[in-house]
Amino acid sequence: MNVDTRPQYAKGVKLRHEGDGSAMLLVPEGALELNQAAAAALDLVDGSRSLDDIVAAIVARFEVSRERAQLDVTDLLERLNARGFIILR
Amino acid sequence: MNPPRPLSLLCELTYRCNLQCAYCYNPVALDEYRDELSTEQWSTVLQQAADLGVVQAHFSGGEPTLRRDLPSIVAAASRSGLYTNLITQGTFLGDALLDRLIESGLNHIQISIQAPQAEMADHIAGAAVHDRKLTAIERVRDRNVALTVNCVLHRFNHDAIEGVIALAETLRITRLELANTQFYGWAYRNRGALIPTRRQVEHGERIVAAARERLRGRMEISYVFPDYFDEFPKPCMNGWGRQFITVAPNGYVFPCPAAATITTLQFENVRGRGLAEIWRDSDSFSRYRGTAWMSEPCRSCPRRELDWGGCRCQAFLLTGNAGATDPVCSLSPDHASIVALRDPQGKDEPIPRRA
Ligand code: SF4
Ligand code: SF4
Repeated sequence: MNVDTRPQYAKGVKLRHEGDGSAMLLVPEGALELNQAAAAALDLVDGSRSLDDIVAAIVARFEVSRERAQLDVTDLLERLNARGFIILR
Repeated sequence: MNPPRPLSLLCELTYRCNLQCAYCYNPVALDEYRDELSTEQWSTVLQQAADLGVVQAHFSGGEPTLRRDLPSIVAAASRSGLYTNLITQGTFLGDALLDRLIESGLNHIQISIQAPQAEMADHIAGAAVHDRKLTAIERVRDRNVALTVNCVLHRFNHDAIEGVIALAETLRITRLELANTQFYGWAYRNRGALIPTRRQVEHGERIVAAARERLRGRMEISYVFPDYFDEFPKPCMNGWGRQFITVAPNGYVFPCPAAATITTLQFENVRGRGLAEIWRDSDSFSRYRGTAWMSEPCRSCPRRELDWGGCRCQAFLLTGNAGATDPVCSLSPDHASIVALRDPQGKDEPIPRRA
């Protein structure tokens, strides 16, 4: 995965926002709870935005360094990719 | 105690089925379930579930595609904002039905197979359906809906695990579930014939571990270990009345799909009371919620909020007391009865499920 990777949801994976600002990732036969930053990043996953675009948006929105944001978003997407919920290309 | 938020609703739309799997967990006596909820009643239940906080609706049975109104029910769930999952054996999943289901918003389909080859699979299913299932799997795979292939394991197909994995690879399946039989309903009746041997269980674990390694990134394999061979019980339903609601074909509401076996509890029906009240206030949901109902050895056990004392239905089936520690637990005073089953002798033919 690099800055130009354009992540996208696998079939049957959906982000769901809750009224209180939290969110869940709905996957076949389960739901994963997401913190605010993870939800914000996944909100931007659409198959056309690159990792770079997503990180830039996170930096603009949260008080976080570029390096930190890049590490966190990469880690999140790679973990979801390992379980087949996010496609990286 | 404030009840937690339920996340998942299992809608058992009908117990009718054209197959006869001996491992079926459906109740043995089906007469009282024939008076099925209508399309409108299911729509109401789905909306009530969404209002309670449920995020996912699972449609199973029996065979849920035997309900002609399945696409309307799926559409009602989607309108209520629910993620939708169909659990089917796939023999009726033609192009037309599939397209209607996807148009209705279906997110995920789980199709079960019985074995890698037609001969064994058709014997287990009690009908010549294996090839039709494979066609259905390919149809779903090539459409815009997620797919999981499932195979229930028991003594008669446990040695074929490798073949099941190879078949899934050939079919380019990305999600495979290998689930050992859970002994409820018909499966409980056939327990002696279906329980795998110790050798099969050990062999199966090695095969699955190797396949996971080899297929990493290509196929996600989930494996449900046979709890009868475990040291501690499964955290059944993640705790009684904590996350899951099951509604039976006739509208009865259960904390677990096997709970109808517990004859010492009185269950309520969506025809008589709203889902929210049943979830919050009914005796059936409250009785074993949390940990206050526990007796020893669970009461003082550090694992009590990890496995919630195991399965209430299994405790009832095996000890007659739904409030007992699940006998699968090595700390249960009744554990010896489980250990005694781990070396099954002989080859009794299981009794096929009757409709
Ligand atoms: S387990 Fe077999 S018999 Fe039971 S509902 Fe499923 S397909 Fe039908
Ligand atoms: S004693 Fe009860 S809580 Fe402890 S491991 Fe066994 S079943 Fe779980």
